[in-house]
Amino acid sequence: MTSRKYDVVIIGSGASGGAVAYTLCKAGFKVAVLEKGRLLKREEFSKDELAYCRRDLVTPNLFDEYHTIEEKVDGKWVATPTYESGWSFWNGNIVGGSSNLMSGMLHRLHPDDFRLKSKYGEIKGANVVDWPISYDDMEPYYTLAEELVGISGHYEKHVYEPWRSTINFTQPPTKENAVVKLLDKSCKALDITPLVTPRAVLSKNKPGRDACYYSNLCGSYGCSSGAKGSSREALLKPALATGNLTLMTNSYVKYLHTNQKEVVSYAVVVNTITGKEKKIEGKIFVVAAQAHESARLLLNSSNRYHPNGLGNSSGELGKNLIFSGGGSGEGELHEDSLKEIAFKDLVTTGLFVNRSVLDWYFIDHWWDGKFKGGSVEFMFEHQNIITRARKNGYKNGQLVWGKELGERLVKRFNTYKNIRFEIFNDWLPNDNCFVALDPTHKDKYGMPVGKLRVEGHPQDQKVGNYIAKKCENILEEMGAKNIYSGVSSSPPQNLVAGGCRFGNDPQTSVLNKYCRSHDVKNLFVADASFMPTGGSVAYTWTIYANAFRVADHIVKRLSGNTVL
Amino acid sequence: MIKKRRQFLVLSSILGLSPYVHAKSMTTYDKAFKKIEPTIAAVQEHMFPKGSKLPSAKMMNATQFLFETITHKSFDKDIRAFVLEGAEELVLREKDFTSMTSGDKEKALRAYEETNYGSSWLSRIMTLAMEGMFCDPVYGSNVNESGWKAINAYGGFPRPKTRYIEV
Repeated sequence: MTSRKYDVVIIGSGASGGAVAYTLCKAGFKVAVLEKGRLLKREEFSKDELAYCRRDLVTPNLFDEYHTIEEKVDGKWVATPTYESGWSFWNGNIVGGSSNLMSGMLHRLHPDDFRLKSKYGEIKGANVVDWPISYDDMEPYYTLAEELVGISGHYEKHVYEPWRSTINFTQPPTKENAVVKLLDKSCKALDITPLVTPRAVLSKNKPGRDACYYSNLCGSYGCSSGAKGSSREALLKPALATGNLTLMTNSYVKYLHTNQKEVVSYAVVVNTITGKEKKIEGKIFVVAAQAHESARLLLNSSNRYHPNGLGNSSGELGKNLIFSGGGSGEGELHEDSLKEIAFKDLVTTGLFVNRSVLDWYFIDHWWDGKFKGGSVEFMFEHQNIITRARKNGYKNGQLVWGKELGERLVKRFNTYKNIRFEIFNDWLPNDNCFVALDPTHKDKYGMPVGKLRVEGHPQDQKVGNYIAKKCENILEEMGAKNIYSGVSSSPPQNLVAGGCRFGNDPQTSVLNKYCRSHDVKNLFVADASFMPTGGSVAYTWTIYANAFRVADHIVKRLSGNTVL
Repeated sequence: MIKKRRQFLVLSSILGLSPYVHAKSMTTYDKAFKKIEPTIAAVQEHMFPKGSKLPSAKMMNATQFLFETITHKSFDKDIRAFVLEGAEELVLREKDFTSMTSGDKEKALRAYEETNYGSSWLSRIMTLAMEGMFCDPVYGSNVNESGWKAINAYGGFPRPKTRYIEV
């Protein structure tokens, strides 16, 4: 066992870990980042569909590390290990985490997302609470993230677009496919306002990072120009350049150790290649392992001072896990019936659709009622070739093969292109969505795995279906054929938050408003775990922003400017 | 309800879960594969024959690709065993499958597809063939990008220089 005392030890190198590391290193503090996965360099991020999208190469093998997922069968909760189902809840276990692989369609939360309970009151069966901070507290950090991470876009005034302290994005939008002409016209015909999607992809060079080169394969892949605003490119690289960051890859943290009740003294870390264990000591520990894994780490860190998990005097640790509600839909734009644009322009590869709709973020309608709605992103169907080909291989429930398959695939890839929408609405926190420790299953390092119960609230699906119908109308107006949509109660495993709620009351929350443990004075949780409610957009911009806010607070504390 | 893949693979097979899942060395598996390889190749060639708008299985080195893919460490060990087992069951059902006429092969495979197990196995063989045909040529199939050329669809850049992000 070796040890060296760092000012700050961060567990996880994704969006939040990167933002904290960047801020602390720039402020001159010595930081260690412990990352379970390996370092993939920019040039290793090729467009290899087999490796990146069809095998567990950037996530753990499910037979080595897994979760158990609970579902209700005949009135009883039954847990199934993910190695049985193949339903992985890992998201990019490499340096930079899942921010390497995101699509980068990002929005800020709306000010009312911070005060959902005040706005809508109690919702039966849901544990909705207001946040202990407001949008005004977060706004400077949204702006900081926009600049540092590199979010491109164009601000347009909209009733549900939150206010911003700068006039516009410093990066203009990425280039757009001609389909936006058709989409915009169709939306306007239906009295719907299409907005330019803010995207964590550079449209112009930044120092050390080249602008997007429109590779056609963005989401699910790493970026080989540095255009995508991953934690690795935007934050960890400049943090390393300060000389203050020690990046430890292949480092799995088993648990955090406390010598005293209120202080973490070291992390017990296993090298995933050699199996050797060591202690990493620090003044401050920041957990940033992605929501369900951060709660699991704290639960696995129980000891005589913290018998129910580290910092769990409230009993809230792991509870109120949230995902993103919603669903998706698609329609086919055929060459023979295409309106407004030329087919050759539609099938031009690489360019983005870049359109969002916020018109249904809040619903207040004389007939439909008053409730929280959601946002919508438009895009093309993912351009992975194997996936698209394979999806087209059935007819009347039977496999198609032989010459017929050849005819079908040639037609599929040459006569139409699918336009898609994705809906994001609140996943209401509830008692049947949480992470706990599985009582029997352990990972290959001997630590109990996370057991996730992932039931949604019925309202989530109602909202999703409400918006899906509106989006289907847009596709119809565009002239799309074979339109369908699906709103599922299954959680999207890449959009996870909650489990360590922040709040002012130590009886009902795990973290204080600076995301520091109420119980343990040198323990912070910087990832999306803090979120009591998730808003109706992808979390990443908020994760970046909040982690910058938390990091600012840690800097003040380490500088002796604040006492907590 | 969450699908329990392992349970399905064990219970649905006539033979039961094969010893290949727990094979101590790949040699055991390799030998078993060699024995069943002509059957797998015949199924692939029936699915991807010559004269289609797509390249043929033979031209794509589909069987070699399948073997190299399922024996790679990144491949699910249960499915690795299942690929072999499903072929063995086909032979149990249709002893002379490899020497059948195309019409008889069609009947035999469609009959196999009627069973849940057969349908699942054929689907897996199809998936593996399409993975080969449309993945990067670095994996040994999609020879000269002929899979991509056939459907006029191309992967993005940069292309992988090694298989499975291996340095």
